[in-house]
Amino acid sequence: MGVLLILWRQRLRRDRWQLPCWILVIGAFALFAVSVVSSTYGTAASRSEILQVAIATPAILMLRGLPRGADQGAFTFFLIYAFLALLAGLMSTFLAVRHSRADEETGGAELVAATPAGRLLPNTATVLHGTAANVLAGLAVFGGFAARGLDPQGSLLAGTATGAVGLCFLGMGLLVAQCMGTSRGANGVSAALVVLAYVVRGIGDATGTPHSDGTTMTEGAASWFSPIGWGQQTFAFSGNRAWPLLLPLGLGAACLTAAWLILRVRDTGDSVWGDRPARTSARAGLNSPVALALRLQSGSILGWGLSGLALGLLAGSLGKAIAAVDNPGSGITAALRAMLRSQGISLTQLMVSVLFSIAGVLAAACALQAVIRLRQEEASGTAELLLAAPVGRVRWLAGYLALGALAVVLVLGLAGVGAWATLTGSGDESMPADALWQTVLAQLPAALLYLAVPALVFVLWPAATIAAGWVLLGLGVFLGIFGGMLGIDQGLRDLSPFTHTPVPHGDATDWSGAWWMLAIAGAVACLAVLVMRRREVGTA
Amino acid sequence: MTTVVQTVNLHKHFGRVHALDGLDLEIQAGEIHGFLGPNGAGKSTTLRILLGLAKATSGSATVLGLEPWTRAVDLHRRLAYVPGDVRLWPNLSGGETIDLLSRLRGGTADGNAYRRRKARLCEAFDFDPGKKGRAYSKGNRQKVVLIAALATDAELYLLDEPTSGLDPLMEAVFRRELLAAVERGATVLLSSHILSEVEVLCHRVSIIRAGRIVDGGTLDSLRHLTRTEISFAADGLEAQALARLGAVHDLAFDGGRVRFSADSDRVAEVLPALGALAVQGLTINPPSLEELFLRHYGDASAHPESPADINNGNGDHGHGGDRHGGRRHLLGMRGRA
Repeated sequence: MGVLLILWRQRLRRDRWQLPCWILVIGAFALFAVSVVSSTYGTAASRSEILQVAIATPAILMLRGLPRGADQGAFTFFLIYAFLALLAGLMSTFLAVRHSRADEETGGAELVAATPAGRLLPNTATVLHGTAANVLAGLAVFGGFAARGLDPQGSLLAGTATGAVGLCFLGMGLLVAQCMGTSRGANGVSAALVVLAYVVRGIGDATGTPHSDGTTMTEGAASWFSPIGWGQQTFAFSGNRAWPLLLPLGLGAACLTAAWLILRVRDTGDSVWGDRPARTSARAGLNSPVALALRLQSGSILGWGLSGLALGLLAGSLGKAIAAVDNPGSGITAALRAMLRSQGISLTQLMVSVLFSIAGVLAAACALQAVIRLRQEEASGTAELLLAAPVGRVRWLAGYLALGALAVVLVLGLAGVGAWATLTGSGDESMPADALWQTVLAQLPAALLYLAVPALVFVLWPAATIAAGWVLLGLGVFLGIFGGMLGIDQGLRDLSPFTHTPVPHGDATDWSGAWWMLAIAGAVACLAVLVMRRREVGTA
Repeated sequence: MTTVVQTVNLHKHFGRVHALDGLDLEIQAGEIHGFLGPNGAGKSTTLRILLGLAKATSGSATVLGLEPWTRAVDLHRRLAYVPGDVRLWPNLSGGETIDLLSRLRGGTADGNAYRRRKARLCEAFDFDPGKKGRAYSKGNRQKVVLIAALATDAELYLLDEPTSGLDPLMEAVFRRELLAAVERGATVLLSSHILSEVEVLCHRVSIIRAGRIVDGGTLDSLRHLTRTEISFAADGLEAQALARLGAVHDLAFDGGRVRFSADSDRVAEVLPALGALAVQGLTINPPSLEELFLRHYGDASAHPESPADINNGNGDHGHGGDRHGGRRHLLGMRGRA
């Protein structure tokens, strides 16, 4: 027991910053969701109206959840639960891989396994650690809901459902970590499983059957194939049943058992799917720093690009679906349409521009990752191999920045292609193609700022690159995308690049923000390149 | 002879730490130059400055006639570097990494000949290029970079503890390949704390401590700083008889044997006296750089086996405060001799 506690304390120590962050963010989202609902949809009438819109719009159901009535608690649960469960799942899989496969990869696990702790006890400590994290995440959700006066029983069930889904993914993460040979691979596969659970549940919800009251739905079959769907089946605040949680807990326990059985018989450092024999010589194209950067990042660029494509497909289909809601009694949609008409844009255009602001964030994250990769290359020592060959520091940096810019264009381009495809496919003519491509272009400057500014941080203060990059992106999204909804002061919101992303609507579009950001990004990138000429390259 | 590497009064400060503190290093064309020093003495910092990856705080460095910080790229076309702690791209195979590094250096222009060199070196080093970078052990990671360096002709090889992960068999292969490169006209700077390796390979050595060169020259010229270990059976011999031996240090009886050490350049003076005593079971251990090394750094590295008589009376061994300790204590040794 003493050894187990030591191992657990080591895990707590390693996660002393990131785990509280995850849990606080999950709790904060629960809290914010209740605030937004009470301020924006304060009356039962307004909630049932928006639920009717949602039920008629599969894309909204896909993103949000399963409508179970206009009660304030049930409505909040519909809006935010799937997202909370997604966060708890990601927290759990990253935690599982961090303390299993990643530890084996760096050799730390071998050191621990050579002590009396052995090979199996560290796994138990990880399970203990992950369970504690999910209990706290559940409590954070409970606290966030109950603090704003939602029914305590429903809040507790919502919190329990979040923690139970997290535990399920903790088990999956540990099982995946047994199978994959690298932490990068294990993180990728297990995070993809979490996102898949979100999407499968979304398909189930979007294909559900509406009840006659117009605010309640019965889920489609697909919802029963997703742990997040099982969590939704608790019907917190509307039905309050706990038995569906046996499913995620059972699957989690099964995964944990399987992981433990594999761990018991395999060698430390070995994996179920080991390394296949690799090439003994390089392809002819691998002959420059940029070719290497592309080789190292092609997987993640492809991932970001596909996310952009998926978002574009969704964006293009949403407007038509909303327009299909022909509800004469609906004051909200009528008011919305009147407002849009006065601005000269269609509902489709509004939906596309809203969803493309998210595509802009994706592109910015993709850009940021290119710079983070640069820093990782330097910190791991592989950059030294490259720079000891006839490769200049400036050429190295410029190559990564050029590739990052191309990746940004690719992500936004694919999002545009996706939207264009669904718009054309559904015969939606309310968004002309040139308006669509203007919306795509409008996202480019902010994303490029997230390439240039982190690059300058990398050049001036390398050790801060990764943390500063994500903090800048997080603040930018918080202030620029959610700032308006949360009523944050305009002066603060103006600090975010995303605030200045133009919203194209015909000739009246104000492009000045885009030009300014483009100029700043260019100047900052030039400055970074100039300073790089004088900067040492090392691991410090 | 032309000078290939020259540094004059080279300083490198990291904040208040003086990693290099007036380093003067000179390497002639065609030699294998040993760069000896304990961990933290500034060997890797020196190499990084010679490569132009780090910038000297003051002083000058010239490599192949170029200033490394401003002309790094031109310089790198003509040299090959093997770091001490090789880190590879985890998802590139060893063969791919060798090809990439060789291509960047422009060493693959001769196509098939390059492929033959690579294959021959992989064979010689018993290296499997078909595994991912993350799967290699430390020694195999080192082989990747060694093979890439040796497969392309370079005028200068900068090697930072290149054999620290290799087994003795591979060290022999490394020595053979390195000598072949020198035969082709290359110059080598071999940083190491593995003294036997330097002893076998190097024409000249420079000894670095606390950021400055404390001694240097050919191995023979350094011999006078070392001592030879002499021991023989003690039976019946008395201390007075041994007192006449003269240049004797650390005289001791243990386990029925007499042990002492003599200054290496004065061993011949001791031998007639030993002959007169008709000693039995005489063994003479030749001096090694190991021993020279311990004498230089015995006080600073607090080595448990450091000879007790090496004590320069300086109790403060702070990083900068003791910067002349090595030289002072060398002089002290000479004074006793």
